[in-house]
Amino acid sequence: MLPNKLLLHIKPAPVIKMLSLTDTTFDNCIKCTVCTTRCPVAEARPDYPGPKQAGPDGERFRIKSPGLYDDALKYCTNCKRCEVACPSNVHIGTIIQKAKARHDGFKQGPREFMLSHTDLMGTLSSTTAPIVNVVTAMKPVKKLLDKTLGVDERRTLPKYTFQTFRKWFGKHAGNQERFDRKITYFHGCYTNYNVPAVGKDLVAVLNAINIGVRLTAKEKCCGVPLIANGFLKKARKNADLNMTQFAKSLDAGSEAVISSSSSCAMTLRDEYPDMLDVDNSAFKDQIQFVSRFLIKEFASGNKPEMKPLNLKVAYHSPCHLIRMGGVVHTVELMREIPGLELTLLDQNCCGLSGTYGFKKENYDTSQKIANKMLEQIKTTEADYIITDCESCKMQVEMNTDHKVLHPVTLIAMALV
Amino acid sequence: MRYDSIIIGGGLAGLTSAIRCAEAGLKTAVISFGESSLTFASGAIDILGYHSDGSVVQSPFPAVAKLAESNPNHPYSKVGVDTLKQGLHRFCHHLDVAGVPMASQSEDNHWRTTALGSLRPAWLYQPGMMPLPIKQPAKGIQRIAIVNIAGFRDFQPSLAVAGLKQHPAFQQARITSKTITARELGLETRNPFELRSIELARALNHADNFQRLTNALGGAAGSSDLLIIPAVLEDSLGRSRIPELSQKIGCQIMEVASLPPSLPGLRIANALKRQFNKLGGMLIEGDLVEKGNFDNGRLVSIETHYNKDLPLYANHFVLASGSFFSKGLLSKQNRIIEPTFDLDVEAPSDRSLWASGKFLDSKAHHFIEYGVSCNQQLQPTRQGLPIENMYCVGSVLAGFNPVAEGSAGGVSIATGFHAAEQIIAAYQACAGN
Ligand SMILES: Cc1cc2nc3c(=O)[nH]c(=O)nc-3n(C[C@H](O)[C@H](O)[C@H](O)COP(=O)(O)OP(=O)(O)OC[C@H]3O[C@@H](n4cnc5c(N)ncnc54)[C@H](O)[C@@H]3O)c2cc1C
Ligand code: SF4
Ligand code: SF4
Repeated sequence: MLPNKLLLHIKPAPVIKMLSLTDTTFDNCIKCTVCTTRCPVAEARPDYPGPKQAGPDGERFRIKSPGLYDDALKYCTNCKRCEVACPSNVHIGTIIQKAKARHDGFKQGPREFMLSHTDLMGTLSSTTAPIVNVVTAMKPVKKLLDKTLGVDERRTLPKYTFQTFRKWFGKHAGNQERFDRKITYFHGCYTNYNVPAVGKDLVAVLNAINIGVRLTAKEKCCGVPLIANGFLKKARKNADLNMTQFAKSLDAGSEAVISSSSSCAMTLRDEYPDMLDVDNSAFKDQIQFVSRFLIKEFASGNKPEMKPLNLKVAYHSPCHLIRMGGVVHTVELMREIPGLELTLLDQNCCGLSGTYGFKKENYDTSQKIANKMLEQIKTTEADYIITDCESCKMQVEMNTDHKVLHPVTLIAMALV
Repeated sequence: MRYDSIIIGGGLAGLTSAIRCAEAGLKTAVISFGESSLTFASGAIDILGYHSDGSVVQSPFPAVAKLAESNPNHPYSKVGVDTLKQGLHRFCHHLDVAGVPMASQSEDNHWRTTALGSLRPAWLYQPGMMPLPIKQPAKGIQRIAIVNIAGFRDFQPSLAVAGLKQHPAFQQARITSKTITARELGLETRNPFELRSIELARALNHADNFQRLTNALGGAAGSSDLLIIPAVLEDSLGRSRIPELSQKIGCQIMEVASLPPSLPGLRIANALKRQFNKLGGMLIEGDLVEKGNFDNGRLVSIETHYNKDLPLYANHFVLASGSFFSKGLLSKQNRIIEPTFDLDVEAPSDRSLWASGKFLDSKAHHFIEYGVSCNQQLQPTRQGLPIENMYCVGSVLAGFNPVAEGSAGGVSIATGFHAAEQIIAAYQACAGN
């Protein structure tokens, strides 16, 4: 290996304008290979080099010569399990995503466009939701999508809602101004276009502890599917818009920006600066996943009255929430519900990873990764599976008979 | 967020404490930044391998009992041999339940073989490790074949051959090294020069590949009495497949832990985490404890990287943050510090005393003995004042030299268990009142 001094004299590979596409934490690597022991993709497919080689090891070579870029990097799901295990704080997932962007490692066809532009697809689909839902559930259509776009026909495609969350909220917004304390809710694409119930539950829970909810005037997809498909410029544009909106709403008296999707929250808080070079330091601490915000309120005594929920639930922790250090907040939140019998499932990856598992070439990997989680869930006697992530929810509901709820929905169910 | 007990550091010592607390019904959390040093460990547990004069310990428990007279400041002397035994007993129970059974040769130590072919005394071993008797390690072994898979660079059979030959007991033995090619095994490897233990384990787990390995090893074994291979075999639950292989080939097989990631060490780490989870414990990985809030001789709460404004409260805390390698201890210019809470550390300020001149000294360096100084109950002090609701366990502790003594595993388990027992006793006393 070249000493660092020499590396300085080597011209780095070309970078996309404005974005820094190298993450220098590869220098911290102590070569313990712990990351590779935790990578679900490396476990499922031997042709993926694993985080150590795809991340810090490979980066040293790629910087030297772009010709050494390994096409297999496309298999990384950016689940970030490797980063959680690394004792040396190497941002392995970020290094891999940046390398993909630097070396044109992303395939960007119509399928990638459709899967990643979730807000655009949501707008188009929700206006004709009843039709879209029927059509996308039809076998011949799924076959067509499979053949023409490479969206695997074995996947259940997300259902769209006719009335978006924003539309519903519009009718209730006035009501929210009566509260002294307010937060801004970043609803994200999934709550807006697919499952508005989570957003409505969030409003109910926050109102129950005397906090009003606001939306920003405009909201764009956080960017997680865009980053995953290499549309970094578009992701950055979204990030800039969202940040401006957040700044405005915090200025106007909101205490925090809250997200009910673990992946959106991680992106807004961590990926904006790390991946997209968008500086959110002025209010990074105010961007929070919902259970973190709620448990802090509960801990300070601002707790709603709750009736016993005599239910058995099993909790599945999403990868990105693990990475954010947020699992403890959701678990503690659920422990506040009287009567609830809670078990924690092992921390296995669901394998769907947003848009990843929808792609035909990833279907088998995705299902293989899911197996450990699914085996455990199938033998679990629970009324509901609980998880914070929409992707995990889709995966569990497609593969088991269990119904999956968001933790905030559980709290809403306990409200008196 | 409030817990009965919070453990800082999720290595062998921390998880031992945590499992005991959770088992007793205490609401327990473990916060650990990154995987612990078990990734580097052999997966065998040593208790006491060498007397202070360097001679080998045949039977560790009487030797530990004797330490109390010669070395009252040793962690073993503080916790006592009964606690050590109880801790080991519970440790074995939990590993058994989690599918990684450990065994011992009654009360005696055995030799474990390292990847460099040297012998180290240890007490517990995993199936497949094949313990050699302390008195006559080479008994019944005349021909040994040491086999590697080409491309696996974390094990070098020629070094193992040279190392083993240096041992007087093996001077008469015929020791050869062999290499099986990836092609013989039908491994479709992307990069045949960069194989890692975990990748091999995954690939060799497939029935076809396992059969090919069995055939290839059978061929390599020839008329050997013993086959030594690196630890690259386990099923998807992390259970060793050596006994199965041994039976198929009809030859004794010994697995030795390779350079990291050491699969036998990871098996223990994963098994302990599974047990802790099953007992309802909260494992928080990837977060770093950055600060403690002290009041009146008590640690009231801690702040972590992700929970600066949301402190975690507990009635009792256990510090299991490891040694220099895990950043549980840091060396500064003229001082060794405990960086998380700035607890008082036992170490001379004269830097020249920290290490002996030779890097690879046959005697262990002194800095390994330095650490947080604690009383008989393993409670630390801060600026000279005792912290009553805090215990230090494992390699962050001062007063023992795990390398020179061969005592890392036993001290971690004994002190981890001891701290938990004291916390549980405090709760029972409260309930009694
Ligand atoms: C190279 C090597 C080889 C070894 N070989 C053997 C062997 O063959 N046999 C044997 O029995 N033992 C062996 N050991 C020793 C054994 O692994 C350890 O002694 C034993 O695991 C005890 O460690 P511990 O639990 O005290 O700490 P560690 O295993 O070091 O764990 C400490 C943990 O605490 C975390 N941590 C530290 N500070 C913080 C903080 N502020 N916030 C959150 N987390 C924190 C660290 O990230 C780490 O995960 C070896 C150790 C090393 C380093
Ligand atoms: S981010 Fe996930 S898939 Fe990618 S290398 Fe890390 S563990 Fe593997
Ligand atoms: S876990 Fe971290 S330090 Fe270890 S090999 Fe992976 S990136 Fe390097």
